[in-house]
Amino acid sequence: MSALDWGVLGVYLVAILAVGVWAGRGNRRIDDFFLAGREMRWWAVGLSVMATQISAITFVGTTGQAYTDGLRFVTTYYGLPIAMVVLCLTFVPFFYRARVFTAYEYLERRFDGRARTLTSLLFLLSRGLSVGVTLYAPSLVMSVVLGWSEPATILLMGLSTVAYVLYGGNRSVIWTDVVQMGIIWFGILVCLGVAVFQLPEHFGLRDGLALAQAAGRLNSTDLSLDPTRPYTLWTGLIGGTFLALAYFGTDQSQVQRYLAGASLKQSRLALLFNAFLKVPMQFLILLTGVLVFVFYHFHPAPLLWNQVELKRLEQRADPQRLAGILDRYDGAQASREAAARLFALQRSQGRAPELEPLRRAQATLDGARAEAVAEVERLSGKSYNDTNYIFPSYILAHLPRGLAGLVIAVIFAAAMSTLSGEFNSLATATMIDFYRRFVRADGGEAHDLLMSRVFTAAWGGFACLVALQAGRLGSAIEVVNKFGSYFYGPILGIFLLATLTRASSDGAFWGLLSGFVTVLGLAFGTQVQWLWWIPAGAFTVVGVGLLITTLTARAEGSPAP
Amino acid sequence: MQGDQDQDDQPPLLGSWPRLYLAALLSALLVMALIAAFSAERW
Repeated sequence: MSALDWGVLGVYLVAILAVGVWAGRGNRRIDDFFLAGREMRWWAVGLSVMATQISAITFVGTTGQAYTDGLRFVTTYYGLPIAMVVLCLTFVPFFYRARVFTAYEYLERRFDGRARTLTSLLFLLSRGLSVGVTLYAPSLVMSVVLGWSEPATILLMGLSTVAYVLYGGNRSVIWTDVVQMGIIWFGILVCLGVAVFQLPEHFGLRDGLALAQAAGRLNSTDLSLDPTRPYTLWTGLIGGTFLALAYFGTDQSQVQRYLAGASLKQSRLALLFNAFLKVPMQFLILLTGVLVFVFYHFHPAPLLWNQVELKRLEQRADPQRLAGILDRYDGAQASREAAARLFALQRSQGRAPELEPLRRAQATLDGARAEAVAEVERLSGKSYNDTNYIFPSYILAHLPRGLAGLVIAVIFAAAMSTLSGEFNSLATATMIDFYRRFVRADGGEAHDLLMSRVFTAAWGGFACLVALQAGRLGSAIEVVNKFGSYFYGPILGIFLLATLTRASSDGAFWGLLSGFVTVLGLAFGTQVQWLWWIPAGAFTVVGVGLLITTLTARAEGSPAP
Repeated sequence: MQGDQDQDDQPPLLGSWPRLYLAALLSALLVMALIAAFSAERW
């Protein structure tokens, strides 16, 4: 990166700390610290909800996903607007009117303390472990592409975020999220503009899209009914709706954002704002990845996107074998470029372009890369995936000076906006659902505020520790990352029971356990895609919960729910 | 007070919540249709 890029990144970090400190001044009570005094406007809460959801890995991973697989991933978000409307009608009014700090607090009022403790504990376990991964994943990518040490990147991202959340609580989280979301939107539009601008002379946007289409990168709608296939329309509409219901309706990192709304109306509008903007935003991010794919038809792409692994391969692989792979790869790149130029020429002459040379070159290119990946995996004994490195590598190698720094700042913004919401919500659940119930209920405002800050610092420190150790965890890191997906369905089910039925607390408890068993059975006994686990888990909880409530009501001679 | 609360609960656009929810769902449907049309277009 040039000095100008470093300057842009530095200005971003200083500005975000300044906004965090400015916004968070004057916290007197934990209402201020955790719920921003319940006075936020819908557009600020809405942007904060979006910023919390879009992590750095969502940003760089989605563009990489589009580069390798096209637009299909967008269907994962198709259920989100439906979920936003359902939440506005169901959970949000219940949470808002109950004046709760955490979603789990509502469950105690509706059922009993067991439901609250168990769901809050599961949130702390799953989110507490995954926040380390949320910090580690972008830090790893940034350390490779920027050449920094992993600990330096982890500590810069982690500690700067902890600093402003610790000082200003949810107000700082929301206002920095607003700024970060503005930077992210600006960055997306800049990337899209640059990707279009960088197309070669006499090669227009329509040519680029036609080329992407010929390579299958514009496919967005898979109508397959096979539940083992990812990113089908049905997975997106049904599984995606339940995923969004679970994430936005029961995950404290999101619930806490809209509980800060100045009124029920403001909270509902914040979610609807998300419903309007989220799918177009994800589409634009994916489209940027597709245009980067087109760009690399005319510029040499590295054999592996992770430069550290590429250097390791060059040092450890059999030189003759590697030279053979590189020869095939470079030859295929040259053939693909020639085929792409011929493709554009034929289109400009009004002729049907030949697709076969393009497809042949792409197949040779993919084959040579697959050989290199197999060699990396054989030498390291680990699986290798460099999708997350594609976009940052493109930014640093091909974006003009200053803009590269801006887009790196966007990646930092995406990471920090997610981390801040998670630190704040983990501290809230610890303080409200555990400390004030089991340790000290009458500490007074000053004590509670102090302890809230202590828990924020503790979760921030824990996230940094997990991230610093993550490289040594190997495949355990994938387990940690997937941990939350086992619980989303059952926890959603218990909230559906609480808000939509008159189920008893025993029904809720046994329903929840049955939901866990169902999800674990699907996860470890079948090939069904994980998005389907959520509706399966939720329906099991509701079904078993209502059945047990009915049976116990009959046994006791009281009316059924 | 109740009146104030009702007033506060009205959405700023389209007059009522059901209309606003319908607008959100229709806009999502429109975006999905546009994305499908974008994919299917012969560029």
